[in-house]
Amino acid sequence: MGYDPAVKKSIAIVEDEAALRENYAAALARHGYQVKTYANRKLAMQAFTTRLPDLAIIDISLEDEAEGGFDLCRDLRAMSAELPMIFLTARDSELDAVSGLRLGADDFLTKDVSLPHLAARVAALFRRIDALRLPQNAADMVRRGALVMDSGKMQTTWNGKPVTLSLTEFWIVHALALNPGHVKNRQQLMDAANVVLDDSTITSHIKRLRRKFLEIDPAFDAVQTVYGMGYRWVE
Amino acid sequence: MSIRLQLLIVALTTLILPWAGCQYARELEDALRVSQENALESTADTIALALSAQPARVFRAPEDPRPYVEEQGDLYVYALRSPPLLDGYREDWGIAADPKRLPSADGYGARLQVGSTDRYLFLYVEVDDPHFAAEPANPDPEKDRFDRIDMTLEQPDGSLESYFFATGAPGLIEAQRMIIQSDGTARVASEPRIQAYWLETAGGYHLEARVPLALVESRLWIEAREASGRKAGFAVDSAEGGRLFMATSGLGELLATFIRAGTRATVVDANGLKLGTAGALRAADLEDDPGGTWYRRFVTVDTSSWPIQGSLPDRITGKSIAAALAGRPAAEWLRATGGAQDLLLLAAAPIAVDGRTRGAVVLEQSGDQLLDLRDRALAHLFDLTLLATALAVVFAFSLATFISVRIGRLRTAADSAVGNDGRIRLEMPESGRADEIGALARAFERLLARLNEHARYLRTLGGKLSHELRTPLSIVRSSLDNLESEGVRGDQRGYLTRAREGTVRLQSILAALGAASRVEESIQQAERVSFDLGELLRAAVAGYRDAFPDARFMLEAPADGCLLRGAPELIAQMLDKLIENAVDFTPAGGTIALKLVRAGSNYELSVENDGPSIPDAMLGRLFESLFEHRQGSDENPHFGLGLYIVRLIAEFHDGRALAANRPDGRGAAFTVILPLI
Repeated sequence: MGYDPAVKKSIAIVEDEAALRENYAAALARHGYQVKTYANRKLAMQAFTTRLPDLAIIDISLEDEAEGGFDLCRDLRAMSAELPMIFLTARDSELDAVSGLRLGADDFLTKDVSLPHLAARVAALFRRIDALRLPQNAADMVRRGALVMDSGKMQTTWNGKPVTLSLTEFWIVHALALNPGHVKNRQQLMDAANVVLDDSTITSHIKRLRRKFLEIDPAFDAVQTVYGMGYRWVE
Repeated sequence: MSIRLQLLIVALTTLILPWAGCQYARELEDALRVSQENALESTADTIALALSAQPARVFRAPEDPRPYVEEQGDLYVYALRSPPLLDGYREDWGIAADPKRLPSADGYGARLQVGSTDRYLFLYVEVDDPHFAAEPANPDPEKDRFDRIDMTLEQPDGSLESYFFATGAPGLIEAQRMIIQSDGTARVASEPRIQAYWLETAGGYHLEARVPLALVESRLWIEAREASGRKAGFAVDSAEGGRLFMATSGLGELLATFIRAGTRATVVDANGLKLGTAGALRAADLEDDPGGTWYRRFVTVDTSSWPIQGSLPDRITGKSIAAALAGRPAAEWLRATGGAQDLLLLAAAPIAVDGRTRGAVVLEQSGDQLLDLRDRALAHLFDLTLLATALAVVFAFSLATFISVRIGRLRTAADSAVGNDGRIRLEMPESGRADEIGALARAFERLLARLNEHARYLRTLGGKLSHELRTPLSIVRSSLDNLESEGVRGDQRGYLTRAREGTVRLQSILAALGAASRVEESIQQAERVSFDLGELLRAAVAGYRDAFPDARFMLEAPADGCLLRGAPELIAQMLDKLIENAVDFTPAGGTIALKLVRAGSNYELSVENDGPSIPDAMLGRLFESLFEHRQGSDENPHFGLGLYIVRLIAEFHDGRALAANRPDGRGAAFTVILPLI
């Protein structure tokens, strides 16, 4: 799709759990990435100061640092504004997700994620980055009134103004906007976003993405809750 | 026995106060009595002293050591207030006593009474003599037989003079005297200074005679003689007797100057005969306060053993008088002869003249004054102690009520400390008090706090476990993923599939375990908006009909707006959990009924489903976290988190969740109570 397999992307995995680290590394390597693994923040930073990876997958708690991943994320973001980062964590708290994304992470995955799923998310992220450099493909565009979604570049605008949605949020809005008026239940939205989340997480994703649209347009009311069933897009 | 009753009984023991009061009143009465005795005794003594200084005004006759002997013809002469009419009747004498029977050897009935004024001696004789024998003209007293009364006087010069009374015709007569003439014959002569009235009656005759005191020294003999020869009385020949014991004129007036109203003073001579009296006892006026002294019966001193007043019209007798006449002042309490109620205090003091006791002053006072005093004191005492008892009872009862209400409050709070929703209330009433009940309440609070800590630990245990187990599970899963990607032999694929299924189940268990803490978090971030609960219900039920085609859904909700301020998505989630729970236990084709009603200041949202009922022991625990409860109809794990989430969301809305069995026993009902805002 959007990325060139000829050039091996390098991925750094910072994960203190050796078994997991190796499993992730093996799976990503199998998908053609060049994977380097680090057990803690110190080792990772040492390596990153010499060379930045194309993508960093970071566990939040690192050995004895409960929030080591966040610190690492902040440091990396200071070194590079574009470096894509994915948080990978055993935690599933909303707060962690929000803090991670606010620090500039591009995605947030729990360790429940299956390896193919992880690979898909990594690929999607690379694709998104690559798409920014490619010409627009009209087939990837969804237009619904004021909404324009470019699934190639993973970009969203409302009334021409960009809306910064996370990947999960993007796919949720995308799934709703594809079929306006149709109610999507939570399971369908999870499938669309290719995530395994529980209902309340979907609910908070919806809330958050609504807020993002509302920041641009206080009159935004396109994502409607259908109680007991799910959500739908109304124009 | 309730605390209230116990304290009431304790309070009733204050009834001992009136009893003690009675005892006290009795002692008071005793003391008062003694002091009154002393007072009266000293008064008597004072009067006696004053009188001993002027014996001439007290004793008319010189001292006569021989006692008064009535049988020997000694006569007591009553003091008359005013000279009576000579008419043969003694009603105007004003003497309470009857005339004294004169001794007779042959049964001749005659009675005598003697009285005196300042100047006259009055005699009154009743004779039982139905056959009147008139005096003949020119009688010979020695020989003629006729009804007559002989009287012999000791004259001031010491000589004796004899008179007789007789008449031919009843009426006013004069005494007659026999004069022995020089020839030795006796002659009868009238004595005009001695007048009498002879009154004929049905049974005999009365004689009322008046003798000037100037004719009398101190002795007098009276003898009634019938014509037939029978006689009664004393003849002159009895050398003893015949003495007159006369009250002293003017003594009464003298005594009156010594005493106060309500006291009666009497002077008696050495024989106890009254020489003079003054004053009157205060009449007992019982009708004064008829009902006020009902409690007298509790305090009445037993007077039945007291001596009865020994006062006769002519004399006073008794222990005290005897003592006084022996030279010692004395006082005693008597029962008056008038009525059982009347008490009498009597004090006697000797009148000593030249070192010898010649008489006594006797003072009498009605005990009613004392009773009055006692009753007044008692009335006060009773009122006060009864008031005190009543107050004590009221106070004890209030205190008991107060305590039992507090304990009841504590008990109610303890009973409901762990509510139907599984929530533990940490605050106990009364815990702010410093007393034992407060301490008990605080002990309860500590106990509940510990219980709550434990409950919280259990609640968070799921989240912690889920978190801790997630990493090893991820290792297993990612390893399986890798294994699969590396390629497995066909015969190994079955194992791989089974292992994967195992991890999927494990993961769903962990997700369920961790769900509670995620819900708690999302609740913390929830925002409140106003929305229509009825609308939400209608929309949700439409969705459930699609989602669960096997169950019949029924909805009953007010058509008008049921506005609630809260988080609609949380309410929807809560509804989901309730419906999931109901669906799990509803047999295929069963009914799930949703109902929304406004009840007072609350909305009551209930979900009832057909199916098995919930064991009673579980009802209160269903909303606890991780409470592994009923076996559902599917194979999904049931950790009770669904209902725990229901409870969390209800509590977020300041409401609560309750579980109950349907009255018909064929299903369960879950109710969420949400306050109107």
